[in-house]
Amino acid sequence: MTPSRRTKDILLYKTYAELKAEAQRNFLGFLWWVIEPILFMLVFYFVFGKLLGRRPEAFIPFLLVGLVVWLWGQATIAQGAAAITANRGLLNQAFVPKALFPTVVFLKNTFKFLFALLMLLIFLVAYGFEASPIWLEAIPVLAIGGLFILGSAYLAAALTPFFPDLQVLIDNGLRVLFFMSGIFYEIDTLNTGYTAVLQANPAAVLIDSLRTVLLAGEHADWWRLSGVLAGALCIGGAGYAIMRVNESRYAKIAY
Amino acid sequence: MNRGMPRSPTEGRRPLLSLASAGVCYRRRRTLRSAGALHWALSDVSFEVMSGETVGILGRNGSGKTTLLKVLAGIIEPDRGKIERNHSSISMLSLQVGFLPQLSGRENALLSSVLLGEDRMAAKRNLEAIVRFAGLEDCIDDPLATYSSGMRARLGFSVAYHTTPELLLIDEVLGVGDQEFRQKSTAAIKELIKSDRTVVLVSHNLPTIRELCDRVVWIEDGQSRMVGPTEEVIEAYLK
Repeated sequence: MTPSRRTKDILLYKTYAELKAEAQRNFLGFLWWVIEPILFMLVFYFVFGKLLGRRPEAFIPFLLVGLVVWLWGQATIAQGAAAITANRGLLNQAFVPKALFPTVVFLKNTFKFLFALLMLLIFLVAYGFEASPIWLEAIPVLAIGGLFILGSAYLAAALTPFFPDLQVLIDNGLRVLFFMSGIFYEIDTLNTGYTAVLQANPAAVLIDSLRTVLLAGEHADWWRLSGVLAGALCIGGAGYAIMRVNESRYAKIAY
Repeated sequence: MNRGMPRSPTEGRRPLLSLASAGVCYRRRRTLRSAGALHWALSDVSFEVMSGETVGILGRNGSGKTTLLKVLAGIIEPDRGKIERNHSSISMLSLQVGFLPQLSGRENALLSSVLLGEDRMAAKRNLEAIVRFAGLEDCIDDPLATYSSGMRARLGFSVAYHTTPELLLIDEVLGVGDQEFRQKSTAAIKELIKSDRTVVLVSHNLPTIRELCDRVVWIEDGQSRMVGPTEEVIEAYLK
């Protein structure tokens, strides 16, 4: 059997196995894939929509689009950072290409994301948005987003086993990024000198692009998205290369 | 070659794997307070494994046997010296690889087989034999979490036993499970080793090495002290 075929088989089985294992861990199982983003959204709706009284027009759809994309990226990158370390038992029993572990994390979270996305689209139509052909533009937007998330997970997975302190930095970095990505506010409306900096953040670009396509029904800004794509390829390429070069070192690290 | 000499057990066979002065170095993790000392678990090991033979690895605790198996399996690469591979597949007889308690016995068997290097289709074909050998026909679709440790061990053994790498690495011929299954699994492994499979076997147990191995590599302090026919090496080892 060729190595790539074996890798594909493992990828398929491990992703399926982890999804199923996750769905069976509690009573509501896979329903949590829908409930969790909704609960998350309710908290933010309550705090920013009701308590603080700052509501852009159609705040719920606005918030939902941001949160669904954010949760996808946040979960993948945080779990990706721990992906190799979490499989250290397996690493010492059989040779497995290390890039496989963050890829499984990505596939698992992408599957859950697509579930949430489907719910989001149904909600948008029910809310009164019109499903127009321009929604198809969401596909390349999300593909670029997925590449960026996968690339970040690769880099995080590649480096964290060597520098365990990174896990703490990544978790906290993601927390900061969450507040900086315009998930529950519009970056444009901020009255600061940092608007340009905030808008350069890839998470903000992705969320903004998806809102442009789905909520405003307009074309995404492909110029900004191509910057994200270039970043994704650099980061992901670096992460993949680090994993390949150090392929047999990960099993030697005393965790 | 002198035709009057008896055939050596390795004659006419091709080397599947060869190590030349291989060494493996571990570094303890650096922290603010410690620099991370180096430790050579293997320093200088050389030997070959020919197709069809069973090579025993003999050595005391801490001599580097487990590290050596990991090098052979490709899990870690030597930091110095060379390893040459001419085999199509290799795997360690590892038990319960990748098992997840939430999945059924059947799903775990498939996942574990694939992780050990089996083709997805071959894993499915083997499934019935795996289940039968483990004696778990009645509960193979129950979650692994409901299994006793003995049942898990049986399933883990059966999966590993049914994988078919060209070169098989075994760390101790240990039967698992209850008395009955232990005898059955020990006998099965011995049969497997005696067949014309190529096997590298690590063991503390001299009678096992004597019974099963064509040649023996004696490892001490990370070095191969002696490589040769089983009896000769064991005799030197015991001195």
